[in-house]
Amino acid sequence: MVMKEFVKTLKRSKWGYIFVAPWIVGFLVFSAYPLWLGIKMTFMNYNLVAPQSMKFIGFQNWINGFTDPLFWRSLLNILYNQAIFITLTFFIALLVAYLLFKISNGNKIWGAFFRSAYFVPTITSVVVVMLVLGNITAPYGPIQTLLVKWHILSQPIVWNLVPILIMPVIAVITSWMSFGIQAIILLGGMGTIPTEFTEAARIDGARESTIFWRIIFPLLRPQIVFIMVMNAIGGLQMFTQVYVNFGVTGGPDQAGMTPVLYIYSEGLSKFQMGYSSTLGFILSILIIIATVITLKVLQERS
Amino acid sequence: MLKQERNERTRAYIFLSIGLIITLYPFVLMVMSSFMTPSQLLNNPSMIIPMPGTLSGYTGLFKDLNVLLLFKNTIIIAGSVTLLNLFFDSLAAFALAKLKFPGKNALFGFMLFTLMIPGVLFFIPTYTMLYHWGWVNHYRALIIPSFVQFYSIFLMKQFMEQIPDEVIEAARIDGASDPVIYSRIIVPMSIPVMATIAILTFMGAWNDFFGPLLYLRSPKMWTVQLGLQMFSSSIPGQNVQVLWAGEVVITLPILIVFLFLQKYFIRAFTNVSFK
Repeated sequence: MVMKEFVKTLKRSKWGYIFVAPWIVGFLVFSAYPLWLGIKMTFMNYNLVAPQSMKFIGFQNWINGFTDPLFWRSLLNILYNQAIFITLTFFIALLVAYLLFKISNGNKIWGAFFRSAYFVPTITSVVVVMLVLGNITAPYGPIQTLLVKWHILSQPIVWNLVPILIMPVIAVITSWMSFGIQAIILLGGMGTIPTEFTEAARIDGARESTIFWRIIFPLLRPQIVFIMVMNAIGGLQMFTQVYVNFGVTGGPDQAGMTPVLYIYSEGLSKFQMGYSSTLGFILSILIIIATVITLKVLQERS
Repeated sequence: MLKQERNERTRAYIFLSIGLIITLYPFVLMVMSSFMTPSQLLNNPSMIIPMPGTLSGYTGLFKDLNVLLLFKNTIIIAGSVTLLNLFFDSLAAFALAKLKFPGKNALFGFMLFTLMIPGVLFFIPTYTMLYHWGWVNHYRALIIPSFVQFYSIFLMKQFMEQIPDEVIEAARIDGASDPVIYSRIIVPMSIPVMATIAILTFMGAWNDFFGPLLYLRSPKMWTVQLGLQMFSSSIPGQNVQVLWAGEVVITLPILIVFLFLQKYFIRAFTNVSFK
């Protein structure tokens, strides 16, 4: 009797299972299996082009990973980069979102025009952005030419040869690329705030800045959480920006080395699949910790 | 009161216009530079209008960059990924949004969980696996592993949940099976979200650099992004205008699609948030 019920349920659910089956198969083949392979590889000395030398080495890869100065250097580099990137992008995006919000009940066409224009850097590829903005920030590019003319700089700087400048400049370039999309996301949040809230405060004589920080900003929490989680996941995995500039070397004094670039160079240049896989695990664990902390911190602020 | 509001709005327009210049200046510079000669580019980097202009950057695209081949390769990859995703993602989204089956909620919860796993975790193991399968230097290495994506399923599911159940029930009473309901009701009613996913997926594949760098070895298989990067790191100085022209032509297709379908683009990016 129970069996019959069960078969009946299964029959009725047949298409549901068939329709989700591709995702399940895709997950098993291209995520679960590689994950298993990856775990095994972290305990192996495994050179892709010399597989006969494969050897079980216990936790040696993990120990090497946690004590690898270059890996830690790459982590410090990316944290330096992200500290600048996240702060800069977020506050610019917040300002732009608020300005867009201000004009949103004005002329519809101008509103749409500005929204679209600010969105354009988001749809441009990282390669193109790095090439174009690399030119703009180059020693004889327009920005430095102006700075020298205005005597802010005494002479042009080749920023990609100055270790301390590499990550800040890349952060600014990435900011230019991302502030528009973050602004649009925040604007979406502002649009859902009932106007009575802000109107009431305005009638009570609240200042513009008070209305913004006390009423609008706290109500943007879902959007802010989304942006910060995306930052934590995406930002720490930066690759193309540094690869386009420095290849696998990481630039002068390895100041442009990021964790993913390092993993790439260990895996794809030196073919140390066991070791690079281990570094991938360590980085992933750190990213998950960063994500959880972001969620915790932002959700407690309610 | 009203006057103050108008003043505020004017101020907002002024600030936004300054921001607009910063946002669009690189694109203007890119287009203008693509019409300059190497000596103009070298001697006058902040010059805005090329006088006289040259088309050598654009003719060089065919000679030095082989841009048509790059376009063809990228379209094969991005087109395949997009079509596969539209089909498989929408099937899964339909099942999750409208069909009942035991384990559905658990499955969806698990799918959400996978979104939190950083991609870098799979990078080396997947490369190793595909290397052993002999997929390196084949387009399938870039197409097959991304044939279905949860992020798109999630967006489609959200949209499909808004389709009224009565429509589906009525069809079911008329004897329509789930595949028929999918093709006759769900797909036609989900065109907006399908367009959004198509744009996102195609753009993602078009702009992708990491994947092609990993898997495409021979230059005749390179995509636009990989081809441009390789070109930029190898060009002699007299061809620098070709690089600028290359940047213009590989950005242009996405920009044109964006201009026509911007409302779908913006919706795709704004519909999501962690509640």
